[in-house]
Amino acid sequence: MLVAWKYRPRNTFIQRLDPRARLTFLACIILAVSGAQVWDFRLLLPLFILSLVLYLLARIEWRDVWRAWAFILFLVLFIVGINGLLAGRGGPTAVLQDQSAVLFRSPTLYIPLTPWSITITITVVRSFFAITQIVRMLTMAILAIPIPYTMDPSIYGVAFRRMGLPDKASFTMDLAFRFIPTLGRDFLITVDAQRARGYEVESARGGVINRLRRLAPLIVPVTMSAIVTGEEVIDALDLRAFGARPRTWYRQLHFQLRDYLFIALGVAVLATFIAIRIMGYGQFWVPEWWYNLAK
Amino acid sequence: MEKQMEQSGLWSFGTRQVVYGAIGAALYGVFSWITNVIPLPAAGNVTFRPAVAVLIFFGIAYGPWVGLIAGLVGNTLGDGLSGWGFFWNWSVGNGLMGMIPGLAMNMIRDYRSGRSIGIAIGWGALGIAIGMLFASLTEMFVGGIDLSTALVGYFTPAFIGNLVVTVILLPILMVAYAAVVSRRGR
Repeated sequence: MLVAWKYRPRNTFIQRLDPRARLTFLACIILAVSGAQVWDFRLLLPLFILSLVLYLLARIEWRDVWRAWAFILFLVLFIVGINGLLAGRGGPTAVLQDQSAVLFRSPTLYIPLTPWSITITITVVRSFFAITQIVRMLTMAILAIPIPYTMDPSIYGVAFRRMGLPDKASFTMDLAFRFIPTLGRDFLITVDAQRARGYEVESARGGVINRLRRLAPLIVPVTMSAIVTGEEVIDALDLRAFGARPRTWYRQLHFQLRDYLFIALGVAVLATFIAIRIMGYGQFWVPEWWYNLAK
Repeated sequence: MEKQMEQSGLWSFGTRQVVYGAIGAALYGVFSWITNVIPLPAAGNVTFRPAVAVLIFFGIAYGPWVGLIAGLVGNTLGDGLSGWGFFWNWSVGNGLMGMIPGLAMNMIRDYRSGRSIGIAIGWGALGIAIGMLFASLTEMFVGGIDLSTALVGYFTPAFIGNLVVTVILLPILMVAYAAVVSRRGR
């Protein structure tokens, strides 16, 4: 088992984009969807389709990404979707003060030995709210999922530097990415070394506390070895007068026309959503035909 | 044993912070990834992430900037390694979880003493509470959940799981660190 990045070079439109353009676009969409509080399905659906198209353009192989999808779908469908469907919580006032017709009502379930009972009631408004909420969440998720698969790990540092982050902070990020394979390898070597001493990694004996304590022989050596290495890296950087003056970066980034257009698209979406909200539009919406389902 | 590391200001950001911020982030990323792909002890819906003890230790040992970077970047790296995408509010929450214990850096004099370990655990618990509360409450806007789901479904399991890990593993890390510092003399 190797600690390896999911990134693979692919000749796709998404990977030809400048990482700054991609990160800016992602930030704009997340802000538009979660910050502007627009709940109108008619506005969210085009954004969802746009995110889906961009995801498909990334051409990530299913065998690479299925675990991420399983996690996201579980989160979105079960936690967010069912929460919205049954309670309508987390939604706008129109959903919280819902008085709409009932689509489905379960028989009352009495909990033995308690005075409690459960009746599941799904209304027209709450059912459509759950769909809106799922679309809203998926719009953000399907933009975020491709990032680790399609963005070169060695480019984050320079990308953040060119986005205005200070040199030291950007270098920290760059260094962190470089340390990952080394520390992953150190961890696996430690696991092997402890196994050779009779340590059973997979042993399920003992309670939670004992099992957590038994992780110390794996975590402590790797952490302390990394700290000792850190002192050597500090010496090396100090000897090269790190931080004395602005540093240069080996990788250069240059915006192309497509990057400007991509950023403009993200900013336009964000500005539109904010403007719609300021003008009083973008409230929660249910199509007329959806109400007919209750008849 | 007196703490002999660089006695610079709490908020200074020099080479030491750059390097240990990066190492803390990488360690937190690798350990989080291991937790994501290998099942670890769990009780109910509380999962235990040993990486959290390492994060809080880096905050305590190297200050708030290192804790912030280790949590913020480390969580992003862990999610990236697992291929889960990017969840900014949880990354910021993890950053706070590392930064707040860092405020107690200058209170720790002897990493082996019970008093110092107690202070570290106390500030660690505060960091966990604030960091996880931030992540859970912002999930109301990002994920559209309600307050009770945020508190009961997200905050409580995360807080309990991270606190248990911290109470068990942080003292072990501190004692081991004391040995490393005394051997290296800095």
